[in-house]
Amino acid sequence: MELVSLFITSFIVNNIIFMQFLGTCPFLGVSKKIDTAAGMGIAVIFVITLASVITYIIHYAILVNLELEYLQTIVFILIIAALVQFVEMFLKKSAPGLYQALGIFLPLITTNCAVLGVAINNIIYEYSFIESLVYSVGTSVGFLLAIVLFAGVRDKVDYADLPESLKGSAISLVTAGLMSVAFLGFAGLQL
Amino acid sequence: MKNNFVKLAGILFLIAAISAGVLAWLNDTTKDLIAQNEAMASMDPAILEAVMPGSTAFMEKDADLAETIKADNSKFINLLTAVDESGNELGKVVRTLSTVKGFSGDLELYVGFTPDGQISGVSVISHSETEGVGSRVTLPAFTDQFIGRDASGEISYSDYDAVSGATYSSESFLSAVNNAIAIYTEYVK
Amino acid sequence: MNKLEIFKNGVTTENPILVQQVGMCATLAITTSLINGIGMGVAVIAVLTGSNIVISILRKYIPDEVRIPAFVIIIAAFTTIIDLLMHAYTFSLYKALGVFIPLIVVNCIILARAEAFAFKNGVLDSTIDGLGMGVGYLVAMILLSSVREVLGNGSILGFRILPEAYEPMMMAVQPPGAFILLGLLIGLVNYLSRRKKA
Repeated sequence: MELVSLFITSFIVNNIIFMQFLGTCPFLGVSKKIDTAAGMGIAVIFVITLASVITYIIHYAILVNLELEYLQTIVFILIIAALVQFVEMFLKKSAPGLYQALGIFLPLITTNCAVLGVAINNIIYEYSFIESLVYSVGTSVGFLLAIVLFAGVRDKVDYADLPESLKGSAISLVTAGLMSVAFLGFAGLQL
Repeated sequence: MKNNFVKLAGILFLIAAISAGVLAWLNDTTKDLIAQNEAMASMDPAILEAVMPGSTAFMEKDADLAETIKADNSKFINLLTAVDESGNELGKVVRTLSTVKGFSGDLELYVGFTPDGQISGVSVISHSETEGVGSRVTLPAFTDQFIGRDASGEISYSDYDAVSGATYSSESFLSAVNNAIAIYTEYVK
Repeated sequence: MNKLEIFKNGVTTENPILVQQVGMCATLAITTSLINGIGMGVAVIAVLTGSNIVISILRKYIPDEVRIPAFVIIIAAFTTIIDLLMHAYTFSLYKALGVFIPLIVVNCIILARAEAFAFKNGVLDSTIDGLGMGVGYLVAMILLSSVREVLGNGSILGFRILPEAYEPMMMAVQPPGAFILLGLLIGLVNYLSRRKKA
């Protein structure tokens, strides 16, 4: 089934972080605790999927019909900002523990390249509505996978004996690079 | 309180309106230039040379036939005639999308055919493949293998060399070539 | 801080990529060739400086409660301006940078400078800060993309500089290479700045 193939492609083969580089800021800054990373990943799945649906509809129903495509950047980012605001309010009421744990990273989902990137890509790749939905869910699940894997690895990296200069972001990036090699291996995956 | 809310919303609206206004003006000013660029993209001399050596332009001479093909083949874009600087016709060029999606969407190709039914050259017009991986299907090292092939039938997967590590992109590329071949044999020959 | 210090701050002490380590998405994706790195760097300078100037001019008129949405609108407007200009005047660069041009709007650096500097300082200072941070970003882009292009393609700005016998290190222009090389670059910067302090 083409949709299944699309899902697997966006989830693993074309992983949003390790192959497309979108969403690296929260990826590097996310807490080393696996459960916070998982919480962030799930929040992102929610935001990306909803943002994709809304931006897709707005783009085709309004922007294209009124020939206002050049307003895409402004309109999309405002939709995303509003959406994150709602998610924040929602979490504050229904999952205060997670809300506290995510802290500053929750509003930062607005500036997460992955959210806007996926929304724009849906248009560029000329996906149908269903395809864009599958792509969004697949991509964001890929983000969750990447972030949880990374949190797990970083845990171990912390105990390694490293030269001072390499500690922190430097070694995080190198580690991410090595994980990216693994994902690059999926490039020939045929379904 | 409500007064304050209205004031806040009003200021935001004002900023948004001014921004939209500036953008609308700029969009209008650059619209033609942008359209021209997009059209020119497929008329790059390097591409023309790669697809049909010696050609200086691709012209639309078979508008009716192109319409017929378009009705039947959703991935077909255009049928062009390659001419050299004296206006001599060198062969036909099919502009088509791939029928199998690559890593990230369709590839758009020119496939040139000599009058005796051989592929004169292939060139990618646009793609969204991964830089350094799938993008290598645009390189002569990959595309050269199609030159001189007989456009008598579909090229099978076992009959060509994919870019290692870029199977999706390569197969998408091949599907575009095959679509062009199919169109050529059915409508143009 | 005097004017020169503000500028230097952006380029060295608080370099957005090498020190603050924000806005890295484009840095990793775009730097496969030097010309792309320069193009993106210049685009960011334009958006960052432009939005800093406008936000600084309007700072007394934007109420605190809605400042973030206001910043976002202004930054998005400048991003779109650059997008349209590049689409019209630098077409091949526009195609090469692709989706990362509209993604400038979510580049954390720009929002961070709006909030931390432009909203609280005069127009001239904000302009210099924008230029400084932008140039710092450009410098980092140049460093990374030169290394990646030389290693991965044997060329600089499209001109082959390594001998034909050099087999390009494919990894350098692929995703893993981006992560690893940027990590090593930051490690190097850390090392140099620590030696300077010692």
